[in-house]
Amino acid sequence: MTLTLSEFLAQIEAVSGATDVDPDAALVEISDIDSMDMMEWLYSFQSEHPEVGADPDIFENEDGSTTLRIVHDRLVKVAAAAA
Amino acid sequence: MQHMQITGWGKAVPDRVVTNAELAEKFDIDEEWIESRCGIRERRWVRDGETTASLAVDAGRAALEHAGLTADDIAHLVVATATPEQPSPATSAFVQHELGVAGSAHDVNAECSGFMYGLVHAYALMRVDPRPILLIGTDTHSLTANPEDRDLGILVGDGAGAVVLTPGESDWVLGWDLGAEGRWTSSLQAVCGGSRMPPSKEAIDEGLHYAKINGNEIYLNAVRLSVATARRTLDNAGVEVEDLALVIPHQANIRIINSIASHAGLDPDRVFTNLERYGNTASASIPIALDEAVGEGRIQQGDLIMLMGFGAGMTWGSMVLRWGGESKEAA
Repeated sequence: MTLTLSEFLAQIEAVSGATDVDPDAALVEISDIDSMDMMEWLYSFQSEHPEVGADPDIFENEDGSTTLRIVHDRLVKVAAAAA
Repeated sequence: MQHMQITGWGKAVPDRVVTNAELAEKFDIDEEWIESRCGIRERRWVRDGETTASLAVDAGRAALEHAGLTADDIAHLVVATATPEQPSPATSAFVQHELGVAGSAHDVNAECSGFMYGLVHAYALMRVDPRPILLIGTDTHSLTANPEDRDLGILVGDGAGAVVLTPGESDWVLGWDLGAEGRWTSSLQAVCGGSRMPPSKEAIDEGLHYAKINGNEIYLNAVRLSVATARRTLDNAGVEVEDLALVIPHQANIRIINSIASHAGLDPDRVFTNLERYGNTASASIPIALDEAVGEGRIQQGDLIMLMGFGAGMTWGSMVLRWGGESKEAA
């Protein structure tokens, strides 16, 4: 699995309809993307890469500071661990 | 061989309409946000005195009337609910008494998949005892959601839907699938009130008797499990997705329904929805939608239709039916 940050952002934009998404904005501040958009992306990702074992934890956002760049970093780590 | 056919259907919903405007004010959120989040514009909530059983009785009467039968004709009553009249006895006992059903009565609890589980139970029961069955899906989740819980509060609606199932020579059921993955119990649960955590003042003060949802898990599993059950049932039935005249999914959330349709290859124009008016009525959502789909002429004699649901647990179920049964022309 080699999904670059820009590819990841493009996929999130395609799912949500959002444009020009800032990868460093806190998720809670991106009004055009909500949790169901993220789960919709995750469903497609899981279907395409079942070997990675990505789950909703990569979107964990308890303190409200998670960004899409952070999510992508987590995804890369999960994928590396699964490889 | 006697087969199962659907010869009556009906619904009952409370007359109290709860609009997004009312909930937007209650939860201090934007009215449009609610609709964009779930596709629901309004839902029906019970008033004092209305209960899971009272809605079931009204829906059951409507279905019996439509079938041209009386309660005396019913050999078995099956009530699907996750919001029972009271912890004991079963809700079906109250419904049986009120309707005057002559035969057996039992409950099925598979949360929002309850109607699908009940339908397959009835299908099996019909094979060993080919006499009329009344199947009712009924729920009042407005009473089990924490009044302060925005996430569930905007979704839930109350209602009941019923079908009368009678034996016949023509086979309506072409394929079905049921299943469960119990490792997802925490996706949607009310932890207090059973043997694991009996009711206590402390637990109730903490609101642990209210249902709590993990929306991300529900979304992901609902799509995954629904797409899988749809494929299995179509395969079991030997039917191509293009051949379906109508799909009636559990009316949970328009975005979940749209996702399921997209990933399962369903034609969106052939997916019936009415959740914008009723919200998520749990076990009742599929029979209510079936009643309306038939009433609106969306289902014609000979049509292939698929009913499919998912629920907490998580559970799922689906069935492909030939409306009116198999005939030489339709087969």
